[in-house]
Amino acid sequence: MALSIEYVAKETATNLWRNRLMALAAVLTVAVSLSLVGTALLLRQAVNRQIGELGRNVNLQVFVQANATTAQIATIRSQIQQTPQITHFTYLDHEQSYQQAIKLLSGSPSAVAALTPATTPPVFRCQLANPNDGPAVAAQFSGVPGVYRAEVPSQSIHVLQQVTNVLQVILLVIAVVLLVSSLVLILNAIRMAIFARRREVGVMKLVGATNWFIRIPFMLEGLVQGMLGAIVAVVIVLLSNMGVSYLIRHYHVNVLASSVLPAHDLLMTELLVVAVGLVVGVAGSSVAVRRFLDV
Amino acid sequence: MIRFDNVSKSYKGGVTALTGISLEITKGEFVFLVGSSGSGKTTFLKLLLREELPDGGRIWVAGRDIGELSHWRVPYLRRNLGCVFQDFRLLPNKTVAENVAFALEVIGRPRSVIRSQVTQVLELVGLGQKHDRRPDELSGGEQQRVAVARAFVNRPLVLLADEPTGNLDPSTSQGIMKLLDRINRTGTTVVMATHDVGIVDSMRRRVIELDRGHLVRDQERGIYGYGDASSTSTRGVPAVAAGLADQDPSRRTGRVAAVRARRGQR
Repeated sequence: MALSIEYVAKETATNLWRNRLMALAAVLTVAVSLSLVGTALLLRQAVNRQIGELGRNVNLQVFVQANATTAQIATIRSQIQQTPQITHFTYLDHEQSYQQAIKLLSGSPSAVAALTPATTPPVFRCQLANPNDGPAVAAQFSGVPGVYRAEVPSQSIHVLQQVTNVLQVILLVIAVVLLVSSLVLILNAIRMAIFARRREVGVMKLVGATNWFIRIPFMLEGLVQGMLGAIVAVVIVLLSNMGVSYLIRHYHVNVLASSVLPAHDLLMTELLVVAVGLVVGVAGSSVAVRRFLDV
Repeated sequence: MIRFDNVSKSYKGGVTALTGISLEITKGEFVFLVGSSGSGKTTFLKLLLREELPDGGRIWVAGRDIGELSHWRVPYLRRNLGCVFQDFRLLPNKTVAENVAFALEVIGRPRSVIRSQVTQVLELVGLGQKHDRRPDELSGGEQQRVAVARAFVNRPLVLLADEPTGNLDPSTSQGIMKLLDRINRTGTTVVMATHDVGIVDSMRRRVIELDRGHLVRDQERGIYGYGDASSTSTRGVPAVAAGLADQDPSRRTGRVAAVRARRGQR
């Protein structure tokens, strides 16, 4: 069956315009919910990057004095190896530690300039079998010669991780609730469109238009509503990401520098947002068409 | 063209619309379907359109058992059946030409075909000059002509009309009947459900009468009611009407059988 693109486009546009208030409500709800979805995803990625930078699963950092001797470092190393609670560790020498510091301080050139590889303390990054042992193990190392400081960064990371997890769950729950309501709004918008066009639909059935010919303009209407909502959400997510990046750079919040996401991650998130928008639009209109358009 | 084989239909709540209807309508016939309200005329048409499925029996349209049609083929059945209704069912926001063109657009006909067919059919129904008017600017008779044009524009095998003159005055009705007659003469089978005594009596076409779901009369060159026996017999048809004035159902059925037998002999 020839389904002319022109006919479908015309019908869809007419429907949307005739039902513009309902369509607007549906589009805006999709936009808000998808913005939340996008934000939640970006937040998670940012936090993961941040944690990755600080050292994922590092429960204990033993900083060695910048001027410690090789023998002292060897002693510390063997002591770490002998500590049963420590399951795994990595050693960053002066140079590696310096590189790490540069990364962390990338937003603040003056701080970077003050550093040299020689003045940057090497560090042992340790993983504990049980993260709760962190403070106790740290205490064991604090008096060892050559040790500058033993600390438990995991706690701050842990808190950060937990806060973002909770925040993410809250955002996603709100987003899901809103997505469901936007699905219902799209469904209702399509139902009203079907009702407004019941005469046309009646005539179409009578003269032998195929079921899909009757359905497609309505399905497309839902798809367009989902898509328009997604586009608005994409812009909102993009702007909020730009805003956060700007604030981080402008106020030299160097610790968060790695929260600025690369273009690739942003693009994937935005694509996902668009996909969810399309799915919501199609799902809403499919249900409406099946329930209210008995062809 | 159309064959009903012992067709029954009842609706939810136990309302029996049709009982054991068997009949055949051949290509090119003009058939009046008469009977009081609730006699099953509309159900008859709905079954033909497969808007309803029969509870029992079979219905053939153009050689196809339409009960066997899969859901997605129903639209293709309907393309062979044009429909006209008492309330016209025109789209108020479209012009006359657009209303007619709509019937072709939605079955995916190419634009060039649509343009020529619409012009042609509007000439046929006598509305060539009014193609750009909207339905509310037309008289009832003109609106029904548009509806007929829409039903006929795709050259269906059968034209179904459910009381097409129900909303029209007698002279306008005559015009519509002339139009349907003209369409019938192109070889299109016409089945028209009606209450209009004058029309049925003056046209002298085959009459099928339903009464509470039963087929009670099937008569060549029939008239609407009973009683005007003389005019029936002058047409050379056996005096069916006189006997039918009698309300005895068994005798009626006998008459139907007699008529059917006579039709079979030809």
